[in-house]
Parts: sequence; structure tokens; C-alpha cells
Amino acid sequence: MLALVNPFTDAFPGAPENLANLLWVIVALPLAGAFLCGVLGKFMGRANTNFLACFTVFASFILSCLTLWAVGAQSTQFISPASGVPVRWALWLDLGRWFSAGDFSAHYGFLVDRLTAAMLMVITGIGFLIHLYSTEYMEHDDGYWRYFAYLNLFVAMMLTLVMADNLVLLFVGWEGVGLCSYLLIGFWYRDTEKAWAGRKAFITNRIGDFGFLIGMFLLVLLVGATEQMGRETALGRSNFSDIGRARAWVTAVHDQGPLNLEVLREWALRMPAETAKDRPGMTLGTTITTEGPLKGKTFGQVLTAALLLLLLGAAGKSAQIPLYVWLPDAMAGPTPVSALIHAATMVTAGVYLFCRLSFLLVLSPTAMAWVAMIGALTAIWAALIAFAQDDIKKVLAYSTVSQLGFMFMGVGVGVFWAAALHLVTHACFKACLFLGAGSVMHGNADETDIRRLGGLRKEMPWTWATFAIATLAITGIVPLSGFFSKDAILHGAHTTEVAGYPWVGHTVYWMGLFGALCTAFYMTRLYVLTFEGKRAPDARVPHAHESGFRMVFVLVFLAFLSVVGVVWGIPELVPGPGGRKVALMEGYLAPAMNLADRLASIYDTVTHTESSPWLGFAIAWAVALVGGATAWLVFRSWLPARAGKPLPNYIALFWSWARAKFYVDELYDLLIIRPFTVLSKGLYKIVDAGLIDGVAVGGTAGVLRRVGGWLRYTQTGNAQNYATVMAVGLLISIGVVLTWVLR
Amino acid sequence: MTTLTTWIVTLTVFQPLISAAIIALLPQAEKRLVRGWTFLSMFMNFGLTVLLYGLFDPKGPEFQLEQRLQWISDLGISYHVGVDGLAVSLMLLTGFLGPLVVLASWTSIENRVKSFHLALLLIQSAMLGTLASLDVILFYVFFEAMLVPMYLIIGMWGSEKRIQAAMKFFLYTLAGSLVMLVAILAVYFLAQPSGTRSFDYAAFYNSLAPANRELAACLAGKAASCASMSPLAKALGVYGPWMFLAFAVAFAIKVPMFPVHTWLPDAHTEAPVAGSIILAGVMLKMGTFGFWRYAIPLFPVAAQQMRVAFAVLAVVGIVYGAMMCLAQTDVKRLIAYSSVSHLGFCMLGIFALTAEGAAGSAYQMLNHGVSTGALFLLFGFLYERRHTRNIIDFGGVARTMPVFAALFLIITFSSIAVPGTNGFIGEFLVLLGTFKSTKVPMWLAVLATSGVILSAAYMLWIVQRVFFGPVVQVENARLRDVNGRELATSLPFVVMVLVMGVLPGFFLDRLETSTRRYVARAQVGLDVQQRDEDTRVTVLPLSSPTPVAALPAGTSDQR
Repeated sequence: MLALVNPFTDAFPGAPENLANLLWVIVALPLAGAFLCGVLGKFMGRANTNFLACFTVFASFILSCLTLWAVGAQSTQFISPASGVPVRWALWLDLGRWFSAGDFSAHYGFLVDRLTAAMLMVITGIGFLIHLYSTEYMEHDDGYWRYFAYLNLFVAMMLTLVMADNLVLLFVGWEGVGLCSYLLIGFWYRDTEKAWAGRKAFITNRIGDFGFLIGMFLLVLLVGATEQMGRETALGRSNFSDIGRARAWVTAVHDQGPLNLEVLREWALRMPAETAKDRPGMTLGTTITTEGPLKGKTFGQVLTAALLLLLLGAAGKSAQIPLYVWLPDAMAGPTPVSALIHAATMVTAGVYLFCRLSFLLVLSPTAMAWVAMIGALTAIWAALIAFAQDDIKKVLAYSTVSQLGFMFMGVGVGVFWAAALHLVTHACFKACLFLGAGSVMHGNADETDIRRLGGLRKEMPWTWATFAIATLAITGIVPLSGFFSKDAILHGAHTTEVAGYPWVGHTVYWMGLFGALCTAFYMTRLYVLTFEGKRAPDARVPHAHESGFRMVFVLVFLAFLSVVGVVWGIPELVPGPGGRKVALMEGYLAPAMNLADRLASIYDTVTHTESSPWLGFAIAWAVALVGGATAWLVFRSWLPARAGKPLPNYIALFWSWARAKFYVDELYDLLIIRPFTVLSKGLYKIVDAGLIDGVAVGGTAGVLRRVGGWLRYTQTGNAQNYATVMAVGLLISIGVVLTWVLR
Repeated sequence: MTTLTTWIVTLTVFQPLISAAIIALLPQAEKRLVRGWTFLSMFMNFGLTVLLYGLFDPKGPEFQLEQRLQWISDLGISYHVGVDGLAVSLMLLTGFLGPLVVLASWTSIENRVKSFHLALLLIQSAMLGTLASLDVILFYVFFEAMLVPMYLIIGMWGSEKRIQAAMKFFLYTLAGSLVMLVAILAVYFLAQPSGTRSFDYAAFYNSLAPANRELAACLAGKAASCASMSPLAKALGVYGPWMFLAFAVAFAIKVPMFPVHTWLPDAHTEAPVAGSIILAGVMLKMGTFGFWRYAIPLFPVAAQQMRVAFAVLAVVGIVYGAMMCLAQTDVKRLIAYSSVSHLGFCMLGIFALTAEGAAGSAYQMLNHGVSTGALFLLFGFLYERRHTRNIIDFGGVARTMPVFAALFLIITFSSIAVPGTNGFIGEFLVLLGTFKSTKVPMWLAVLATSGVILSAAYMLWIVQRVFFGPVVQVENARLRDVNGRELATSLPFVVMVLVMGVLPGFFLDRLETSTRRYVARAQVGLDVQQRDEDTRVTVLPLSSPTPVAALPAGTSDQR
């Protein structure tokens, strides 16, 4: 049995069931806040609105802390609807059916396990800090009530996303956060550019959601086919000694719906992978025989397809290749929004999704390889673009894209806990960086061009100090949180073999290392140009002013978190699964990742070789130092010394391409958007107005007019003519009827 | 059976007509009086539909609250009304829109006020009657009766090119329904033995179903069943596809499906707000309803044969309609084309022939009525202020009309099916049903799913152009926000959007029996094992003396 870490007291005071019954309140509070701020905010006044918005999130935070405490205790458990066996270290609340039709149904259900609890901390904790920061940041904006309504709504939606016990409800949060993102990016809608950025974000996300939807449908079909075929083979008797458990699953498929997470977990258990040759019965390699669109495919093929489609969805939300293009533009929104939505929470939804569905992902090595490679490519690609961006927020945006790439790498090589840890630490230091950038803008009349900043170290000491700490954290300098979380991913990649894709682990590792080098370089550049050196001569204001108490407090707090977060990543700290010593986060998340680990080891889809991480850590540290030092030398000494002299050609070329984001936006425009618009307009002119309305409808009308013209000649007014026609007609009719009857 | 349950449907259908008769007596000049009374009667009508909806038992038999009276006994025509789950839901929608339509045209209609409101009431009766009819002739009469007042509403109170648009609307629809009349008569004569002929829906269906079964078995390759086919089944094999097509064309025009959709943008663009709301809200659903109630159950074999073709047309409607939206310069035309796209989802769900697809389709019918109705309503407010429909004439309206912008945005999200709003449930179920469908190929379903991207593209585009950006034109800087009446008209829509998104079970429950029956009836065409009672239409027998024509020779007329 696993020796599981419990960082809290072993028993939760009070019955966990009572807490489970209150789970909906965590979502309902910010939702109510959003409604009140939106409808009454204008009349309540600024102070009341601020208070209400912060209060609801803070109250959610308190409840979240209680759930964190509860799921830390061994006594907390619920009976899984899909198997009838208890699930420990988790809370579950089923509020009843949302909708159902045919065989499908979806519930309002909330599930909090340790993964969710960690996410709850990030969302409500950092969410509250950012609300607090916003009260000062938005103090001169008349749209404050709208802002806080959207922000509260966002928190509610994000909470729905992480607490949902089924994929459909998760999708509510998934699209809901996209919606809030749309509203907040275009918050200053009078600026056409900003409003367009919102639309771009929404539509790019929708492309992802298109994949997400189809992925869900495929999962529904899969579960349905399994159930059908299982029924034929006596409910997959060969897989289950316990027939009652199989029955419970079938009941749950109908009652809770096929997309319920517990149902899917049980499905994953029922589905031995192809590699497990010794297991008889239904496997992922089994051909589907039930009637339907899946007939003739194997379970494994369909599962892989579904996961790749979900990857498209995750790439949309988490800004990965090829759908990352919306995130840098999303910086048009207010800076706290960038910190909360476009750094700490929403964009990590894709990572969360794959951690949540880790038990499915490990069944498909192909999907894992794709996730890892997409992540690795994105990590490098975005980092390269970040080299040459001059907008402080754009650099951070590309940095976020790149860091999310790291998390995808972690997910793809099966070190889910490391990805989740990086998600949490990244949320802290990136929020700190963004809010620091916001503070810089606040004190410099909204200047975002780092070439026109500089020398802020003295003028904004608090902002400087916190920004510096967060920069060190993200570059991966010991002993800050980013180091262990990023290097846990790299170490994981280095020691992992994905079945059938032996090259993936190493490729990802080297790419990740290069990505880390780039990270250190562009972050140091950003830091140096903004805070070091002399103040730029063409700065907007002669002297920057430090931000007020609320903003500084939040910055300090986040910087503090970026430091102490390291505790969760120190390797070999506590006893973990399998008797080996693991990092705190790995131990903590073990119950949530239990099934994935089990499946991965049973079916050998992912093999982790045990090795000491320390050497790898040293290499990674050296890489980060080299990257940082290079940037420091280049931007602190070399470039100022060469002021006025042109750059070498190859650097200038790279620089201009990177600055233009490698022309990807233009490429998409040229290849997809423009042809599609032209096609739409062309179809409208040619098919709709031309062929259908002009030729078909107009033609018919014309023909009728002409025929009518001819027929006019029959209207002679001569009764004899009419009588003749009548008689002939009658004769013909009689003839026809007679032949019909006599036949 | 109490008097209430017997008469409720009739009362609901004819109450607007009776009110119209009373309002016709009011003096022409008393505009406020006319509006007020029309609103009151529409509100009463809404009350009646709510009552009807409440009386309908989701667990009960398929057809409920029936009433059947002698009408033209010699021809086997009776006055037979009653509702199933789909009809009662659509009637609720019709009732819901009624008073809102009156409120919406409170100030925009200033000339011939009385005639306008009479037309509204007539159309209300006709629409409710079409949904409630269980006799095919009665259905046809109501179906045609909708045309005239609508023609007048577009032709008399529309904008510049109204005559042309009204003509196009009228001729298109009439052409379709005349073809349908021929098919109705063909079934009447062909399917039923002389002497027992009846236009009752049950008679129609029950006489065709066995022949359809035989034909399906034959087509499924069972040679033995081909030899023993009844003459009717043989005839169905030959003429069935044509009769199906005759029904299908009539309804496809009404929906409208690609490529017979071009009347819709013109009609919507030229119609006054009320016309657009009624047209989008209820009238288009008569097409989908027709497929569901008549075309497919009566000719399941032919429907199965042409199923993929119709599914392709539906998907073309979704994608092509959305692409047309991107090419528009006129706001109302854009919303009209979005209807083509949305109704494509309804049709796809119907032709997916799965429980999920059918339920989603029915739900989508209700959704579209609410959300597109609301879009036309809201744009009507703007049109009243600016008297232009050109997209480029707007911009920055959110600044001058914030409440209006918020309302429009919420409806937009419903229209693009953001989860939490009603649109999501419908689209999700339709797409899921399509993916589950055995016959509709998966690439088609994938193509249909791309509709979620396209709808966001065009709806957010229009929101962007109308509401966001700087105020460029001076007229937009002086717009006043929605007034109390306008707010009161649009809030019910917003509430419905959220209620139907969050608590869809309430509405889906009432659709369940209809959905199951519909799917079972359509599957008759597939030669699957099923019990006769799963598809059989059971309705109230005619209690009064049987029509002479229905009597076998030599029996007395006592029963």
C-alpha cells in the first residue's frame, strides 16, 4: 500500500460530508458577486463594489482552504458512483441532473480531490490577491463595476472548470473562462484594436473548443461501445472478478452520464492497453463491433483520436502551437487580468485537463508523444519570439506561452505532478511579474515599451525587488520555486520512456534545456532593460512613482510565495509511492495521480528509470546561469557600449523576424482568414444572389411569365373552344382512369 | 376528462381569433386602445399556453388534451386537435412571443394600427392551430392561413422593398405547400381503402406504417418479404420517394433549407420587427415540425433512403449560412442568414435519427425562437433610433447604450451556444446525436461542428462593428439607451436564455415521449425489430357517429 504524505493533520475536524454539501457555495459566491456587481455595481458605488468583489473571492478562498484541509485527511472519502468502492482523499457532491436525452446525461456535480484542491488554492488565493490589487489599479476607471463583475464571473467559471465532476460541466467552465477572457481583453472596447484582440482570443479558443467537443463525443461513443460490447461478453467478465462492480459501472454510465470522471476512470481500468498481452478480454486493441460510426476501428485508435482532439482544445486554451497567437494580443486587457487569466489560471486549463485525464492519456503513448512534442516546440518557439519583443507585457505573454509549453512537456512524458507543480509555482511568479509590470505601467503613465523605461530600480524599489525575485524564480535559480518545478519536468523527461516513442523523452529534455536557456536570456533582458541602467531619455514621465500599499502588498506576497513554493519541489524529501523518497508535491498528488501511475506501470506505456536528479539539476542550473549571464553582458555592457553601431547581419535578421513574431499572424491571415472571407463573399455573390436567386428563382419566374403569356392565347373567350378542350380533357382522364382500374 | 382538458387546446387556438373579432369593433383611431387590448389578449393567450404546458403530463401518452368533433364527415375530415410534447413546447414558445411582439411594435407601427394588430392575432391563431391539428386537412388549412397575414405584415408595414419581399415569401411558400396538398391527397386515396378514408393523422400514419414495414423488409434484402408485399407497399416503393419529396419540399422551404432559403433574408430584412420575430420565432419551426410530424413518419423508407442527402443539405446550411453571414453588410440580413445556419442544426438533428439528435433538434427549435427572436427584437430598437441597417453606420454603440449592449451581448452568447445558455444544450445534443448516428458519416458531423467556430466569428464580428470601437458617426453619439418598455420586452428573453440553459430538464422532459416516438417511427424505414405500439399513433376515437364514408357497406350508422 502506498505510504502517502499528509502535510496536514490526519483527521479533519467535523464531518467531511458536511463540507461536501457546501462545495457548490465555492462557485456560487463569486457567481453571486458577479451578478450583484454587474447589476447593482453602478449604484452601490466604488467602495462597496470593491469590497463585495474581494469578499466573495476571499470567502471562496476560506472554503477552499477547508476543502484542502479535508482532502488532506485520510478519513475523507466518498463512494464512487461508477464502481461502488470508496475513493479516498476526495469530496464529491452531486446536485442532480442537468440534462439528459437518449442514453446521454450530464449532472451538476462537483468533485474535489487533491489536484482540484491545489487548483482551488491558486484560483481563489491568487484570485483574491489580484482582486485586491485591482481595487487600486482600477481606481480611476469608471467601468470598475463591469470590471469586477467580469472578474468575479471569471473566478466562478474557473472554479466550475476545476471542480466539475464531468467533462460537460467542465466544458461550461472551459468556455465560460474564454467568455470572461473575451470580455476582459476587450474591456476598453472603445479602442478598436483591443476589442478585436478579444474577438481573436475567443475565436481561436473556439477552434480549440471545436476539437474539445469532438473529443468529448468520441469519448461518449467509446464508453457506449464498451458498454454494448461488454454486455455481449457478460460485462467484460474477464476483466473483472467482481461482476457487481461492472454492473455499478453500467448503471453509472446511464445515470451519471458517460462523461462523468468516475465513469471514465472506471472505463480506463476496464480497458487494458494493447501492450498487456497477458490480459484477455477487451483491450484497447479490440476492434469495435457495435453498430455506429466507430465500427471497425479499435478502441485504442479512437481513444488516441479523442485525446489528440482534446489536445487541440487544450492548445487553444493554453496557447500552444498552433493556436498560441491569441495570447500575446490578449495583453490588451487590464494588467491584473493578464496576471490572473492569461498567466495564473485560465491558460493553465489545458494542463489541468490533461492532469485530470491523466488516466486516459497514459493509455495512449501516441497522444503523449504529441503532447510532449507540442509542448517542447511551443516552449522554444515562444521563447525565441520573446527575445525581440519590446513591450513588457508581450515579453511576459510569450514567456507564459513558453512556460505552458514546459507544463505540456511534463504532461506529455507522464510526470503529471511536476506539470501541476510548475503550474502552481508559475502562477505565483508569473502573477508577480505581470503585476510588477502593471505597477511599472501605473508609475510610468502606462508606458509599456521597455526601451523607454530603464533605471526603475531606484524609483520603484518594491516593484524592483519583487520583480527581481520573480525573474530569478522563472529563470530557475536555486533556491527559488521555478527551479525545482521546471527541473522536475526536465528530469522527468530525461528519465522517461514513452512506449513506442523512445526518442521523445530525450528530445524533449534537450529541447527543454534549450528552452530554459532562452528563458533565462529573455527574462534577464527584460529585467535589465526595465530596471537597470539609466532612465531612458524619451521616457513618458520624468520620474516614476512607486505604487500604493495595496499593490505593493500583493507584489510582496506573491514574491514571498515564489520563494517558499520551493518547498513543494525539493526532491527526495518525503516518502512516496513505492517506498521511494519523493518531492512534497508528488507525494501530495499521489492519490489523484494514483490511477495513471498504476495504468502506466501495468501496461508499460510510460517507464520512469530511477536516477538521482541532482546531476541534472546542476546542469539545468548552469544552463540558467549561462543564459542569464549572457543576457546581462549583452544588454548591460555590450550593447550600451556599441550604441549607435549596427548589429551584425545575422543577429539583425533574426531580430527582425523574431520581432515580427515570425510572421505567423500574417501567415494565418494569408492562408486561412483571407481565403475564407473571399470564398464567403464569392459564394454569396455567385451562388446565393447569382445562381439561386438569379437563375433558379428568377428563371422560374421568367419562365412562368412567358408560359403565362402563351397561355393567354387560349383565353379566347369563345365558348366552343372551351367546350372542345373540356371534352378532350375529359376523354383523356377517363382513358387514364380506365387503364388504371383495368390493369 | 374534464371540460377544461377537453377544450383547452381549442380555447388556446381560437382565443386570439375571438379577441381579433372584438378588437375589430374598436375604432380605428384609438391606437392605444387597440395596442392595449391586443397586448392583453396576447398575454391571456400566453397564460393559456402556460396552462396547456402545465396540463401536459410528461409521463402520459403521446398525444394529450385531445378534442375531436365531426366536421366534414363525408370526406373523413374531423375537427381534431391535440398536442404531443413537441407541439406543446412550440405552442408555449408561440404564446411566449405573442405579447412581446405587441410590445416590440408599440411605437414602430404608426399607420393602420388596427389592421396590423388584427393580423398579429390572426397569425397567432393560425400558428397555434397548425401545431395543434391532428387532422391533416385542418393542419393544411392552418398552415396556409399563416401565409396571408404574414404576407400583409411584410407587404404593408415593411421597409422599402417590402412588396417584392412579400411576393417572394408568398410564392415560395405557396408553391411548396401546393405540392404538399397533392401528396396529402395521394396518401388519402392511395393508402386507405375506399369507404374508410379519413384525413385523420392517426389514419394516415397507421395505414401507411405496415406497408412501410413491408417495404423496408424487402429493401433490407429479405427476398421472401418482397414477394408477399401488399399493393400499397409496392406503390410506396414507387411513389413513396416522390410523396416524401413533396412533403419535404414544402417543409424545406419553410425551414428554410439550402438551397431554397433565399426568400428568408429578403423577408426578414423587409419585414417590420414583429414580422421578423414571428417569422424567426415560430414560423420557420413549422418546417422542422412538419418534417418531424409528417414527412418522415409517413414515409420512413423514403426518408431513410434520402437521409444522407438531407443531412448533407443540413450541414451545407450550417456552414454555408454562416459563411453568408460573413459576407453581409446589412445587420438584419446577417441575422436572417444566421437563422439558416441554426435551422441547419435542427434539420441535422432530425435526420440524425438518434434520441439525442432529435431531442437536441427540438430543443434547438425552442432556442432559436428565443435567441433569434431576441436578436431581431433588439436590433429593431436600434433600427427605430437610427433607421439604417447598414453595419458600417454603427460603431461605439456600447458607449451610448450600455444596457442595450449588455442585453445584445447576452443574446449573442446564447446564439453562439456558450454553455450556460440555452443554445449550448441544443447544439451539444444535436452534434452528439449526429456523431452517434449510424448512417450519417462522421466527417459530416465534424463539418457541422465547425459551425461553432463560424457562429462565433460572425456574431462577434457584428457585435464588434456595432457596439465596440470609437463612435464615428454623430448620430450614434446621441442615442438614448433602452426605455422601460423596451427593457420589459427584452428581459423575458434574457431570463429564458438563462433558465433554458441552466434547467433544461424541465423542458426536455416534455419532449421525451415525442422524441422516442419520432425516432421509432423513423426507424420503421430501417427494418429493425420493434413493437407496433412503439410507433402506432393512438388518438381519441371519434365519439360521435362515424362518417358515412367510413362505414363499410351494409352496416347501420349506429355504433
